[in-house]
Amino acid sequence: MIEIRNLTRIYKLNKKQMKESKTTNPWKRAVDNLSLTAEPGEIYGLLGPNGAGKTTTLRCISTIIKPTEGEIYVGGHEVQKEPEQVREKIGFLTGDIKLDPQFTVDYLFDFFGRLHQVPEEQLIKRKEELFTYFGIQDFAHKKVKELSTGMGQKAAIAVCLAHDPDIVVFDEPTNGLDVITARSVTDYLKKLRDEGKLVIISTHIMSEAEKICDRIGIIIDGQKVIEGSLEEILQETGTADLEDAFFELYSARREEQ
Amino acid sequence: MNGIKQIFCKELSRVFKDRKMVFSVFILPVVIMIGIMSLTSGMAEKAAQDVENHTSVVYIENEPEGFSDFLEAAGTNCKIYPVENKEDVREKILSGEADLWIAFPEGFLDAVMNYKKGDKILQVKTYYNPSEDYSSEAYETISSGILEAYRQTLLAQRVDDIESLTVFTVNSDNPDMIIRDEEKAGGKLLGMMLPYFVTILLFAGAMGIGTDMVAGEKERGTMASLLVSPVKRSSIVLGKVFALMVISGVSSLVYVAAMVIFMPQMMGGMTSEEMGISLRLSPVQIAMLAFLLVAIAFLYSAIIVLVSVFAKTVKEASSYIMPVYMLILVLGLTTMFTTSKPADWYYAIPVYNSSLALQGILTQELTMTQYGLTLGMTLVLGAVMIAAIAKAFESEKVMAI
Repeated sequence: MIEIRNLTRIYKLNKKQMKESKTTNPWKRAVDNLSLTAEPGEIYGLLGPNGAGKTTTLRCISTIIKPTEGEIYVGGHEVQKEPEQVREKIGFLTGDIKLDPQFTVDYLFDFFGRLHQVPEEQLIKRKEELFTYFGIQDFAHKKVKELSTGMGQKAAIAVCLAHDPDIVVFDEPTNGLDVITARSVTDYLKKLRDEGKLVIISTHIMSEAEKICDRIGIIIDGQKVIEGSLEEILQETGTADLEDAFFELYSARREEQ
Repeated sequence: MNGIKQIFCKELSRVFKDRKMVFSVFILPVVIMIGIMSLTSGMAEKAAQDVENHTSVVYIENEPEGFSDFLEAAGTNCKIYPVENKEDVREKILSGEADLWIAFPEGFLDAVMNYKKGDKILQVKTYYNPSEDYSSEAYETISSGILEAYRQTLLAQRVDDIESLTVFTVNSDNPDMIIRDEEKAGGKLLGMMLPYFVTILLFAGAMGIGTDMVAGEKERGTMASLLVSPVKRSSIVLGKVFALMVISGVSSLVYVAAMVIFMPQMMGGMTSEEMGISLRLSPVQIAMLAFLLVAIAFLYSAIIVLVSVFAKTVKEASSYIMPVYMLILVLGLTTMFTTSKPADWYYAIPVYNSSLALQGILTQELTMTQYGLTLGMTLVLGAVMIAAIAKAFESEKVMAI
């Protein structure tokens, strides 16, 4: 289970960043008092425009960055107090995290598996299973730098799932992938959910959220504006699809400001 | 422990499994060094031989009878011309066409033979061009060597007993004149060079790989994948630093082995005995050296990693590391020219103390307190740096994630 309690994350902007975002305030609230709970056996989607705070939230969950305020419990462990236990439980993937281009996919799979102290036998089994599912066998012994974008993304997913984590955190899982690869990734996420794992993703693609997320939290300007299943959100906003719902909430928010 | 081991193995396989990397890190620098050294010493040797084989062009003014025979008898390789026009000879020496001009006074032999007490002492003048190798060589052998022998010959004709002119000689037959501990002497010469070489080898060997290990991972965006794995930051740091130690150690060993094997070639056929750097180390000395070298490798690796942590790219890291390298080189060099005995507290100055201690081990002048202080300081500073690096790994800003 992931439980976020009143998460706030403030960045200090440098002069260049202040100029870029046309502000004189050096403090930027990327995430503002956000709370949410995601349960095992569901795919939770953080939906929002670019810069809404989705990635920051996922990074806080994954212990890469620290919350300014608030607490996050991942599988019962608080991210600031027990970061290593949290890292043991999760598999985290984002476009920013890349695999070492000098090594083969096979080597990196073993390397990260061993870092997570997966027993050798289990590691071989996991590799067989994941490599078969994503069709990695054909390029398992190629160096990462020789792979295409799609192959690289598949390899990265397989490597980050080497230790069979209970909680999977994916930042923009289908970003930059072709339709076929994107489909195999989303199908795998559903498979993980069906196995009882907790999957939390961020996305700005409405159709993706509609199709795979069991529950959706829409974030605008670092704040959660609505949360629920697709039906609940549509009902509450009185709209026909998620895109309309999003724009309804977005313009309401703008009017407030 | 598992984390340290896995990261250590990965960093080593990054280097050792990549043939291009092995070639560029371990083999290429050595090949280049041996190549340059052999080439320069070969060229110097060839130039020296060329000068030796050259037939000197010597102009002699008022040549005394029998002088050319004397030159020939002395085995001098030269061709003699009489001086017709002094200005002409001057020009030739200036342009390098002629090598030496010897000017005897007129009626030289007569004046020598009929010398009476109170006569003016004759002067032989020689002219040469020190900018020309051939001319310098001709001046050395003929003006300084042959003329002196010629003077002795003429002198023998003037006095009956030439021995009576020699009041005493200094060390003409004294093979035991040098009283010293040969091993200590060898140690002194090596002790002067070793700290300098150790710095170059250990530090430079680790520099390229070390910057890539940390700043390179940051630049490629692969560091974050390590940071989300359940390994302590300190384990990541130690795994990398230990791997860097091994790499710099191996590259130093390759260098030293190549230098020992190719020494005669690089030094133009001289053996180490001829250069006076034969050295026999006792097991205690070897052990002391080994521990100290490992500690130095640890400290240098930690320094390199620490500097790289604060760089965003490999390029940035390389430019940060250069001044540090220079500083360490200078500290290594300072021990080359110190004559006074260092005070104990000198051994508490990091980096400088390791140079002093390396020198002290070889000259057998190092006390155990000084050694302990050096080893302790080096390890403590290395450990402090590891802690600082681990702390920097925690910082989002430093890690740029």
